Amino acid sequence: MQNILKHNYTKYIVFGIIISLMPTLAGIGLIRSASVIVLGAVIFYGVVAIGLNILLGFSGLISLGTAGFMGLGAYMSAYLTEILGLPFLLSLAISVVVPVIIGSLVGLVSLRVSGMYLAIATLAVSEVFRLMFSEFTDITGGFSGMRASFPSFFGISLSRDTTFIFLVVILVLLMILTDNFVNSSVGRALLTMRVSETAASAMGINLLKYKLMAFALATAYAAIGGVMYVHFIQFSFPTVWTVMLSLQILAAVVIGGIKTIFGPIIGAFVVFGVPELFLNRLPIIGDIPGLAFMFTGVLIIVVILFYPNGLIYLGHDIKRLWLKNRKSQKGGETA
Amino acid sequence: METFFQLLFGGLQTGSVTALAALGIAIIYRTSRTTNFAQGTIGMFNAFIATFGLIHMNMTPWMAAIFGMLASFLTGVAVDLLIIRQAKKSSPIAKQIITFGIIMIFLGAAPMLFGVVPLSFPSFLPTGHASIMGAAISHNALLNIFIGVVAAGLLFLFLQYTRWGLAVRVTASNETTAKLMGVPTSHVTMGAWAVAAALGTLSALMLAPAISVNVSMMDTVQINALIAGVIGGFQTFYGPVLAAYIIGVSRNLLLFYVSSTWGEPLLFMFILLFIVLRPNGLIGKKIVKKV
Repeated sequence: MQNILKHNYTKYIVFGIIISLMPTLAGIGLIRSASVIVLGAVIFYGVVAIGLNILLGFSGLISLGTAGFMGLGAYMSAYLTEILGLPFLLSLAISVVVPVIIGSLVGLVSLRVSGMYLAIATLAVSEVFRLMFSEFTDITGGFSGMRASFPSFFGISLSRDTTFIFLVVILVLLMILTDNFVNSSVGRALLTMRVSETAASAMGINLLKYKLMAFALATAYAAIGGVMYVHFIQFSFPTVWTVMLSLQILAAVVIGGIKTIFGPIIGAFVVFGVPELFLNRLPIIGDIPGLAFMFTGVLIIVVILFYPNGLIYLGHDIKRLWLKNRKSQKGGETA
Repeated sequence: METFFQLLFGGLQTGSVTALAALGIAIIYRTSRTTNFAQGTIGMFNAFIATFGLIHMNMTPWMAAIFGMLASFLTGVAVDLLIIRQAKKSSPIAKQIITFGIIMIFLGAAPMLFGVVPLSFPSFLPTGHASIMGAAISHNALLNIFIGVVAAGLLFLFLQYTRWGLAVRVTASNETTAKLMGVPTSHVTMGAWAVAAALGTLSALMLAPAISVNVSMMDTVQINALIAGVIGGFQTFYGPVLAAYIIGVSRNLLLFYVSSTWGEPLLFMFILLFIVLRPNGLIGKKIVKKV
């Protein structure tokens, strides 16, 4: 008990409680109810981004198949619950395990060669998935899409607002899980590997095993994000799961801050939330097509070039700058 | 046999489109040490510029193509000067991510400047068929294959027999040493981005008559070009080109003779299998890393 309190899980739980107040705020009219859907999107894309961050931040590998695996999870869960009538939790489990198995096979093949090939191999796999989503109309509904309903388990059927809270619960659980993971021996091994593969393998770290583990985990998070997507948005179209989505999720990780847990959430808010909530609402320039992509693209490059730690350190850095400024002003006065 | 030749030439035509894009990726990979994921997107953007010239400045398709390629030269130079050069000290992963940023900028810029409606770009040779072994191949398809082979060939000659080509090869093999020997490596890199952008644009314009000029026109080409790079190996310039033609032809054959739904997934399976069996590509050599 002492240990649990000492560990800073509290911040994740507090964060979760604050976020889960959003539907209530919308209920009393403080924020618009459309904003709740956008925030829901930020949550499930945030989950996917946290997963990708394990891969990118802690093992230095890039996957471009995120959207494909996310879509696979979404379609599987929709099919299992709606057509086969399986209970939600069982279908959640299956819809995560199958993408992880496929992902591991892809990872096993491409990671043996070099890290760079993972990006290209996952890109190809994601393309295959996208083709399958639109071609296999019997299972996926083709271009007319696939319906799903809000989750229900233990005899409780969730509404939109309670589904939102359910998403927050999953997010907080995964954040705590990720925190544990990156502070475990596996996390340390991954970090060592990122600094120098040669040094890591000289110290007895099995490169392939740990890279594969990171990739499998990223795939699992993507699949969970897909399941969350389909049961919150209640629809899945093949046009959603494109490479562009994978890039946006990657952007969320980079912009928010790699090697952090809150970073991807901030990034997901910037990439998926800000355009919907603010940019598109601006007068005159809000109507320009392509504005959101431009915004994200410029932000990626600016962050990589000038602020490689990500926006998560923004508050910290501003505070330090301010303190330093005040100190030097004081120093000037006394001198 | 007719069908076979029809498929073969169709495959060679897509192969040409992929080969030009793959060549651009290989040049940038060798000189800037990054996988350029934005190759297709830059081509798409400049295809829009060419189409703009065609529609609003009354150009012929040929003039518009040249106009688009000139514009792409400038785009390539701008991308290098404004972005890539600033990222010289970034890690390879950071550079790859920067190319993702470039993709998004151009994906945003294209609809801003040219609208969201897909535009059409005519074939260079709108009419005429040649009969080869009983298969009717349009003149335009033959022209596309010809352009692909000639462009690749000219580039090889340039790399192999000119001073600038030598500078590119030296930069590719070891940038620091090249700099010490007085090779203007930053000019080489800038030139590489300009040429790659022009190749991407040419490839986009060859594809345009078939699928119209739109923001996602180059997605498949980009993926196939990257795969061609992996299969052919980035160590040589001709490896990716060869692989691009092989992919183009085998895709067509698989789609027709095996299954129209499963052909594409099957091709990607074969490619993954190939990577397992020959990890360094068709012609690649193993690179030994030292501490």
